[in-house]
Amino acid sequence: MATVNRKWTDGMLRTEDWWAVWLGLTMFFAGLLTIWGVDLVGWMTKTKTWEWAKFWGDPSFNKLLAGSHVKEGQAYAGLGGFGSLLVTYVVFTTLTCVGAYFQKLDVKKFFFGFTCIFFITWTAWIIGHEAHFKALKTGQSITQSEIYGDNVYCTTKVNKCSAQINKALNGLGVNVMAGQVPTQEQAAQAVAKSKNAILMSWGLQLGGGFSYMLALAVGLVIGNFFKGFANFLREGAKPEWFIKTAIVYLGIKLGLMSMKATGFALELALAGAAACFVAYLLFWPIVYAMGRKVFKLRRDASAVLSSGISICGVSAAIATAGAIRAKPILPIAVSMLIVVFAMVELVVLPTFYAAVAPEAPIVNGAAMGMTVKTDGADAAAGAILDEMMVANHYRTTGETWEADWILSAAILTKIWIDVFIGVWAFVLALIWVYKVERRPDQQHVGASEIWFRFPKFVIGYFIAWLFYVAIAVWFPDAIKAASSGAGVVQSPMRKMMFMLTFVAIGVITDFAKLKGMGRLTALYAIALFVVIAPIAYLVAWIFHNGMVPPLAAG
Amino acid sequence: MKADVELNLVHDGENWIARGGAVVAVGETLHEVDASVTHALRDSGVFPLGSSVTVFMGFDFDTIPTWLRQYHAHYFNRYITVNL
Repeated sequence: MATVNRKWTDGMLRTEDWWAVWLGLTMFFAGLLTIWGVDLVGWMTKTKTWEWAKFWGDPSFNKLLAGSHVKEGQAYAGLGGFGSLLVTYVVFTTLTCVGAYFQKLDVKKFFFGFTCIFFITWTAWIIGHEAHFKALKTGQSITQSEIYGDNVYCTTKVNKCSAQINKALNGLGVNVMAGQVPTQEQAAQAVAKSKNAILMSWGLQLGGGFSYMLALAVGLVIGNFFKGFANFLREGAKPEWFIKTAIVYLGIKLGLMSMKATGFALELALAGAAACFVAYLLFWPIVYAMGRKVFKLRRDASAVLSSGISICGVSAAIATAGAIRAKPILPIAVSMLIVVFAMVELVVLPTFYAAVAPEAPIVNGAAMGMTVKTDGADAAAGAILDEMMVANHYRTTGETWEADWILSAAILTKIWIDVFIGVWAFVLALIWVYKVERRPDQQHVGASEIWFRFPKFVIGYFIAWLFYVAIAVWFPDAIKAASSGAGVVQSPMRKMMFMLTFVAIGVITDFAKLKGMGRLTALYAIALFVVIAPIAYLVAWIFHNGMVPPLAAG
Repeated sequence: MKADVELNLVHDGENWIARGGAVVAVGETLHEVDASVTHALRDSGVFPLGSSVTVFMGFDFDTIPTWLRQYHAHYFNRYITVNL
């Protein structure tokens, strides 16, 4: 049975892009029901920061995992860590298998592949949350180590820990908010009373980013050294689907963040759009000219590669190849290149940007969005950069940037690029059909081509974002109730989809695929690191310079 | 756009192949496919000679490998007008 896009509704049930929307909006609406007191998402499990010695003293899943709404009086009270993990597995496996069925994937293979990836993901996530890797020092331990000691770490958000310690000191008669300074003994007592402060002789303070890097490393090891196992997992390894679903969930997060910082969110979105427009106009012609003049590539190869490198990776390569009617083998070859290079960027760029420009978080995020091709790798790189920069900034200044703004900058610029690809491919198609390959028999390009190439997950992202902005504007009394469900979807669910992406993207990346692609590989590497990355950074700097995330509420 | 004839288009690694009903047109380039379609329609006798026929060719996305489909879901569709 052939798969041809004919009507505008074609693909709604069979493409991963639409299934990201369905999966995203299913959980979005489920989360929204908390406004009316119905909790359909509180079973979602989330990781806890745990400490090795304490865990082995009394091993329990409840020290590693917890449901989202399982406290006394909440909808899923009593559902333990293991129970919530199983419910999470059942719900997401069922939903993704339904999606796999409609996408005409091999459901049996998908089920087994997804199951393995799911548990590999959670294992990596749990290990990444061990306190020696993840926990950050408390604010007191950074700024007043002579009183508190420099070995006080926090197993939750550092602001929360600081507040707990200050509250305990208040109970001891020391009001630090009024400028009173505790003695070392009082400080030690307050730390002991704080539920989330722990003492450790060492800690790497890597924050949540360590889990992402670990998941990626595990995926890459499987993809490159256990190729038989990687093939077994391949049907269930759908990083683009997972990340697009996560991006829809991120729309909720952006909605919630917009409630607090509407102006900043709007500025970020507009700056991202402007930056992408400028980048498009610079990247494509430069890389195309390089391909033609320096590397002597054919016109079609140069066009496909230019779009792949300079626009949105695989998606752009396929769209451009289709627009210029190239043989399908061309985008397939270029796509292999893009997927492998995206992985290199994902590994190198977050660390590089964080080290080189620690005070330019939003510039870094936006540059990431314009440099890293494929949505999965970009969102993954943005997430690592976000975790890394927030943790670094906190370590050096004791000041906490609100999480996820850097990630949002990376995703917003990428989304604008994705949105524009349909229009760009349409323009290319017109040029190719009516000018480059002009023939006496009449060929026509339908405007429907723009719609078929439009990234549909973006619809889910904007619905989620604007819905929460609308709640804030028109129903401010419902914000608290709405945030309860939204918090589950945008945090543990979204992060799980990110983690699944990290493992899956590693599994499908086989560096050996670069063999035999010498000229294309050389052009890609030069264009990416000599042209795209520097120009992207310059454009990001022009449009985002001076923007920093708001400080997290204390 | 309304078409008089609808064909599925694939590429087998060497040739483009357009298929639909009794029409099978093969060519290394799309130009050759179009010529082949014109001949096939002329031979079929469905349309009178001298008439102008609009042909829709929808690319069968199943031609793209499964691992790649997650990145994009459309290759291209095209319309041609042939004079029989």
